[in-house]
Amino acid sequence: MKFITYAENKIQLEKLASLVSAGKVNRDDLEVIVGTRTLSRYSEMGLEELLELVTLNQSLKLPLVLEWDVLQQENLFLKNKETISRLPLHEFKAIRVQDPGALNTIVETYPWLKVQLILENGNHNFQGLSRWSSFLGAQLDRLVLSNELSREHLSRYAGELSSGLEVLAFGRILLFYSPRLLLSPLKKEEIQKSLQDKNIEAFGTSEESPHAGFPLIENAHGTFMFNVKDLYLLDHLEELKALNIAAVRFDLRFDESFNHLETMLDLYYGRVSHADINIKNAHPRPMIKGFYNINKTDVLFTKLKNKRIQRQDDNYIGEIVDVERDQQMALVVKSKHLKLNLGQEVQLVTPEGKVKNVNINTIIDTSRLEKQSAATNEIVLLPFLSGVVAKTQVYLVQ
Amino acid sequence: MTNTIWTPELLSPAGSLEKLKVAVLYGADAVYLGGQKFGLRQASDNFTAEELKEGVEFAHERGSLVYVVLNSFLHDKDLEELPEFLALLSELKVDAVIVSDLGVITEIQKHSNLVIHLSTQASCLNVESAKLWKKMGVTRIVLGREVTIKEAKKIKEETGLEIEMFVHGSMCMAFSGNCVISNYTQGRDSNRGGCAHSCRFEYSIDFNQDEEAKKAFFMSSKDLEGIRMLTEFIEAGIDSLKVEGRNKSHYYAGTVSKVYAEALRYYKTHGNFLSDDLIRWEEELRKISHRDYTTGSLDEYADESSIYNQRESDEIEYTVSGVVLEVKENEHILMEVRSAFYPGDELEIMPFKGRIINHKIATIKTIAGIEIPKSKPGSVVKVPYMAGAERFNLIRKKAEVRV
Repeated sequence: MKFITYAENKIQLEKLASLVSAGKVNRDDLEVIVGTRTLSRYSEMGLEELLELVTLNQSLKLPLVLEWDVLQQENLFLKNKETISRLPLHEFKAIRVQDPGALNTIVETYPWLKVQLILENGNHNFQGLSRWSSFLGAQLDRLVLSNELSREHLSRYAGELSSGLEVLAFGRILLFYSPRLLLSPLKKEEIQKSLQDKNIEAFGTSEESPHAGFPLIENAHGTFMFNVKDLYLLDHLEELKALNIAAVRFDLRFDESFNHLETMLDLYYGRVSHADINIKNAHPRPMIKGFYNINKTDVLFTKLKNKRIQRQDDNYIGEIVDVERDQQMALVVKSKHLKLNLGQEVQLVTPEGKVKNVNINTIIDTSRLEKQSAATNEIVLLPFLSGVVAKTQVYLVQ
Repeated sequence: MTNTIWTPELLSPAGSLEKLKVAVLYGADAVYLGGQKFGLRQASDNFTAEELKEGVEFAHERGSLVYVVLNSFLHDKDLEELPEFLALLSELKVDAVIVSDLGVITEIQKHSNLVIHLSTQASCLNVESAKLWKKMGVTRIVLGREVTIKEAKKIKEETGLEIEMFVHGSMCMAFSGNCVISNYTQGRDSNRGGCAHSCRFEYSIDFNQDEEAKKAFFMSSKDLEGIRMLTEFIEAGIDSLKVEGRNKSHYYAGTVSKVYAEALRYYKTHGNFLSDDLIRWEEELRKISHRDYTTGSLDEYADESSIYNQRESDEIEYTVSGVVLEVKENEHILMEVRSAFYPGDELEIMPFKGRIINHKIATIKTIAGIEIPKSKPGSVVKVPYMAGAERFNLIRKKAEVRV
C-alpha cells in the first residue's frame, strides 16, 4: 500500500526527500502529487514554480504525479489542454484527472502516460468502476475512490477489480464545488481588487444547520465548501492494507498538518499504534470516519413522502378528491381498465393509513343523476364515510 | 410562411401523472419523469408502473416523447433492482433514459436497447468530455448549466451528439452532481434524490478578520430564464431545451410549457421572435413563483449578478385557483381548488393554446350543488360553465390581500 501526499513547494518536496533519506519512508512506497494554479483545484503553484520543482526532483528522484482535477467549460478547458502540452510529462509517474474531458485528452494524445482516475464524485458501484477500469486498460494506474464508500464496498472492489484503488485517509471532505465566485462579492470593492489572484478563505455557518463553521475557499476556479469535520481513517490503515487497497492519501494542504507527516508515516508503517498519536488533538478541526463504517444516506428517503397516498397498481380504482361531512365523497376514477360498479366492495386507504371497506350501493354523477357504473376520468359521488378524507386511495376488493 | 423552420424540442418536467398531462397539453414536445427509484427527486410524487404506462400512452398519443430519469449515482444494491425497471421501460417504449453514472449506463446496455441521454449530473462541460461519453454509448448530452450556447454549439459540431440545454428554472450553484452537503449534514444522499437544498440557506460568513461576520445567501442561485436567448439556441442547433422543475406545481409546468411552446411555434411560423408577444411571454413567466431571473451562463459565464442573495418569499403576482377536472358544456365546471377564491372574483382560464380567457365567477357551489361563500383549497367545487375551459386547464387569479 502506497503513501500518497501532496507537495505544494520546494520546501515540502525537500522535506519528503529528507524523510526518504532518513529511512522514514521507502521511496517505492511514496508518491507525491503536484499541481499548478490552472490545473489543480487548490494548488497555488505557478507553472514556472512547477517546472523548477520538477527540475529539483531530477536529483531527489521522488515519484511525482501531476494533478489535473479541475472541471472546466470548453473555453477554459482548451487553455489547460495547451498547458498540458507544454509540460514535461515524461517526468511524471502518472497524471490524475477528474473531468472525463481531461481523461479523453490523455487517452487520445498521451497513451503512454499512466492515469490515476479520480472517481470521488459518485461512482459508487462495481459495474461503473469495472467499466472505467476496462476502458483504460493498461493505461490505468489507479482508481481514486469516493470517500462515501464503506469498508464493505472497498473490500469487495479491492477483491474483484484488477486495478489498484486509492482512498483518502486523512484530510478535508469537499462538500460543494462551484465555478462561481461567491465570496468576493461579500468583500468591499477595494479589498476585492487587492484579492486578485489570491484565495479568499472564510467560514460559513447557517442557523438552519446544526453544524457551524464550514471552511470555505474561493480561488480562480470558483468556490469550495468543506465539511466542518475532516476525514480521519488513521486508525484503519492496517485494515485498509489487509483489504488490498493500493494507496492511501494524506491531504495535508490546508493547515499545518505537514508537521504531522512523520507521525503519520510512523503510523503507516506500524511503528506506532493509534494510541500513541496525538494528531486528533493537534488538528484544528474535529475528525470523523465519514461513511467508512457504513453509508445509510438513503434510509430517510422513505420518510420524504407519504407512501399511503401513492396509488398501488393492483385493483386501483381512483382517488377521493373531495369530502363533505355527513353528505358525500367525490371519487375520481383513474384506472384505465377497471370500472366502479354498483354492488362492488371497495377498500379505502386514507393518508393516515386507516383502511375501510365498503359496499357501493349508490353512484351519483355530478349532475345528481344515479349511475350503474363509473369509468376512467369520471367524477362520481359516493355516500359519506366517516374518517375518509381527500387523497384517500380506493381499490376494488376482488 | 410555411411550417418548415426547425426549432428545438421543448422538454418539460413531469413530477406526476397529472403534471405530465398538463405539460403535454400545454405544448411540451417531450417530458421527463422519474419512477419510484433511481431518480433525483425522492420527495416528488413520481410514477408507479401503472402511472408510467398511462403517462407514456397519453404523451405518445399526442406526439410527445417521454424520457425517464435514472440519474442517481447508484450504489450496488440499487443496481440489483434496476433490470426489472429497465424491462418495464423497454416494454412501455419510453423514448430515452437520462443517466449520469457509468455503472447505470453499463447495466442499461446489458439489459436493454434503451436510448441513453447523459444527465447534467455528469457535469459534461467540454468537447473532449462529450467525446468520451459518446464512446460509452450515450446519444445525447444534457450539458452542465455552466456551458455557454456558443460552447454547446461547438460540442455538437465536433461530436455529432444531440445536445440538450436547460432553458428555464432553478439552478444548482455547484457543478451539478458535485454537491454532497446533504449527505454529510442531513444524512441524505443528494445524488440519490435526498437533496435538502442547503445552498438556499442563509449563512453567516466569517472572514476571520476584524470585520463582523456577514449574513448572505451566498450559495443560492437566481433562476434561469432563457426566453430571450431562443434565437441563439436555434441558431446553434441545440436539439432540446429543458425546463427544470419536477417538484414544482401544475401551474409551473403548464405556464412554462405554454410560454416556451408558443414562442417556439411563433418562430416556426415567422423565423424570428420579433413580436410584441415576447413581452407577454416574459410577463407570463413572472406570474409563476420564481426567484429573480438570470440568463445564467447561456451567454457569458455566470458572475456575481447570478447570486440570489435573498430569503425565499411567497410574493407572487398570481395564484393558481385550481385545475379543471370536468367540463359539462353549458352546465358547470368542476375545479380542484388550489387556492381560495370568492364569488365575484375575476378568474383567468389558461387555454392550452392562445390567449388567457377572463371570467367572473358568479357562484361557487359544493360538488353536491350547495352554494358556498368561498372555495376551500383541497376541495372540489362547481362553478358556472366558462366557455373555452377544457379538462386540465389551469385557472388562476391575480393575487390580492384580503382582510
